[in-house]
Amino acid sequence: MKGALRGLVRGALTAMLGLLWLGCQAHQPAALFPPDAAVLRLALADDVPTLDPAAGYDTASWEFEQVLFDTLLRYAADSNDLRPDLALSWEISPDARTFTFHMRQDARFTNGRPVTSADLRYSIERVLNPKTRSQGVQYFLPLLGAADFAGGRAAHTRGIETPDPYTIIFRLDKPDPIFLHKLAMPFAAAVPQEVVERWGDDFARHAVGSGPFMLKEWLSGQRLVLVRNPHYFIPDLPKVDAIVALIGVNEELQWLKFEAGEIDVSSIPPAEFTYVMKTPRLKALTIHHVTATTDYLGMNCQMAPFDDVRVRRAFNYAVNKEKLVAILNGRGVVARGVLPPGMPGYDPDIGGYPYDPAKARRLLEEAGVRQGFAPVVWLTADPTMMILGQSIQQDLALVGVDLVLKPVAWGPLLDAVREPRTAQLFLLGWGADFPDPQNFLEVLFSKAQWGANNDTFYSDPKVEELLAQASVVAEPTRRYALYQQIQQLIVSDAPWVFLYHPVAYVIRQPWVRGIQLHPLRPARLDYIYLARSEAARPRTPSAAKAAP
Amino acid sequence: MGRARLNWLEMVGGAIALSLVVLALFAPHIAPHDPTQAVAQTFGDPGPPSLAFPCGTDQLGRDVLSRLIYGARVSLIVGVSAMAVAMTIGVAAGLCAGFFGGWTEMVLMRITDVMLTLPGLLLAMAFVAILRPSLLSILLVISLVSWTGVARVVRAETLSMTSRDFVLAARALGASAGRLMIRHLLPNIAPTIVVMAALSTSGTLLLDAGLSFLGLGVPPPTPSWGRMVEESQIYFRTAPWLAFFPGLAILYAVLGFNLLGYGFLRRRRPQ
Repeated sequence: MKGALRGLVRGALTAMLGLLWLGCQAHQPAALFPPDAAVLRLALADDVPTLDPAAGYDTASWEFEQVLFDTLLRYAADSNDLRPDLALSWEISPDARTFTFHMRQDARFTNGRPVTSADLRYSIERVLNPKTRSQGVQYFLPLLGAADFAGGRAAHTRGIETPDPYTIIFRLDKPDPIFLHKLAMPFAAAVPQEVVERWGDDFARHAVGSGPFMLKEWLSGQRLVLVRNPHYFIPDLPKVDAIVALIGVNEELQWLKFEAGEIDVSSIPPAEFTYVMKTPRLKALTIHHVTATTDYLGMNCQMAPFDDVRVRRAFNYAVNKEKLVAILNGRGVVARGVLPPGMPGYDPDIGGYPYDPAKARRLLEEAGVRQGFAPVVWLTADPTMMILGQSIQQDLALVGVDLVLKPVAWGPLLDAVREPRTAQLFLLGWGADFPDPQNFLEVLFSKAQWGANNDTFYSDPKVEELLAQASVVAEPTRRYALYQQIQQLIVSDAPWVFLYHPVAYVIRQPWVRGIQLHPLRPARLDYIYLARSEAARPRTPSAAKAAP
Repeated sequence: MGRARLNWLEMVGGAIALSLVVLALFAPHIAPHDPTQAVAQTFGDPGPPSLAFPCGTDQLGRDVLSRLIYGARVSLIVGVSAMAVAMTIGVAAGLCAGFFGGWTEMVLMRITDVMLTLPGLLLAMAFVAILRPSLLSILLVISLVSWTGVARVVRAETLSMTSRDFVLAARALGASAGRLMIRHLLPNIAPTIVVMAALSTSGTLLLDAGLSFLGLGVPPPTPSWGRMVEESQIYFRTAPWLAFFPGLAILYAVLGFNLLGYGFLRRRRPQ
């Protein structure tokens, strides 16, 4: 229903905004801060689900959790390289089962108490505790004795040792080369026990961490205000004094506010994207990056005729991927395999399937697929997906396949593709949680994931064998070589039509600097700064009102 | 209806309706291109109107003019058939309610009232969501939400007829209820029905466009005007002609049937 009667709505919204603005003058958050304070103004469509690092498992929660709390390691601003955070240095045993961290001694929670190894142990055990009901529990179960602790049979997890307040050692029951990345997830962030116990389930509303910002105010459905943490251990961070995020501002309204100079960073609604790109002034203010995501057309390998590899290859040759990227106005990079660029194991030389309708027609003929074959593709009823679906429909019509589009909501789509022998074809995407090929190749193509994430019901004995081998190899060169080999097998078997890797865009005001988009995570808000030129910034509404 | 000369409303409305019928019937001969395939490389960057493509090309490289011409098919089929079904239901319900009175009227008119309290578009959206969009389901859904107005008018007309002499005479001669309704009442309310039919066609056309706009219309690749407007939203600021032409087509068709309806109305009640 979105976008209906846009013009009218837009006019009405502008008028309403004006009224709202008049009505809310007294509560202008800008008035909370001294006039020279550097305040980063953001807007969110929906309320932040939580600020409790044990609970959050979504982009919006993580965006704020990662600046309210600290983990042992954090990612570099724009890459998947791990950098020290609470840890100063670390050692990994050659068998990738023991991880020792030496922590910095100057980190303090915002209540003034130093952060110690006991806090980290408490925080991870809190995630393991079934009473917390954390989705992060899966990442720490491989710790020795984790199951005993979770079952209430032990007071602590044997696999976490704290020989002194600033050293922590993790021991795993089997090698896990990507354990470091798990420690960089907000689930492993340090929280102060005394504060958590004081507030219980309400900790999210009274979050206390050791990160560059601290929580000042969270009014549900209205705004979230973070201010600088005076105890923060990196002297020049954060770069702004405060962040004010208005809540309940949908994408269209965000854009209006951005154009009015009322917010500093905004997403770009699809309806405005081409306009922004064709307006040099605005285009210069956009920031983009290739996400660690692959969008694909899945083919159910258990359903005829897609059980025939020739048909699957034919579909790969038949679909014009360059056209899809053009339709997305360049917000994508053509995919030639499973792994997105930037992912270790990404193979720039993999050939993939170039657009070749003649070859597709030949393969379909060989496989005995009759003209007018009409498979059904399941996709979300989203305007962009519908256009992409129609483009694929056009391409397939040229090779004699009459594709039928079946638009459904996200929930039913996921239910359908997980059911065996239900969805012949489906349009989906997969984004990585970790910068490791296992996160794509094993999660999406192993038989153990049938009914979960392996929605094409693909299975190959050779791939299974190599996946088992690769998962425990810690040495990067050998590990990634194995995964490259697996990817080649999968690309050759073609359970997907490999489409594209989406490119994400945001737009900033001219005075906003230092935004760096990360391939896996939300951008870090503590690195953003505002150019100190008052001429470039519009006056705040409260100042404008005070003038006469 | 008398045999008098056509009034200007009827002439213009009729010409528009006729032109739509011709477009729909002969779409493959009139349309310069295949409406579903790319004819220009304007992917993601719609082409402006030009000599080769008078209405431009869309983000999938399709010729907008050809899509408009083919779109007349869906609009006419859905608009006219839905109108026919809605008229049948509405006339039947109105006639029975007006003729039998009592409980029959009570029940039929309360159902009508309940249907009228629900916004047509919302009701149609709910039905389509359950039935899944297809030409037949959309046609049925639109008729289901469009018959109520007709039922009310027909009931009122019937009520005004039942006590007239010719009805009483037929009744006295022992005519059955069915015969009375079909042979005596129906012909006398036919002029009203014709007016209602023309006017409600523009209503069903608009509802069809609305449903298509919301993505609940006839599924692609079949071109439909409502969907064309919906798909061009993204380019509203950079390629406004994409939304303009299908919008104009909807306006043209709705205007045509409305003029026709008012023309018929004027003929009945000369001013």
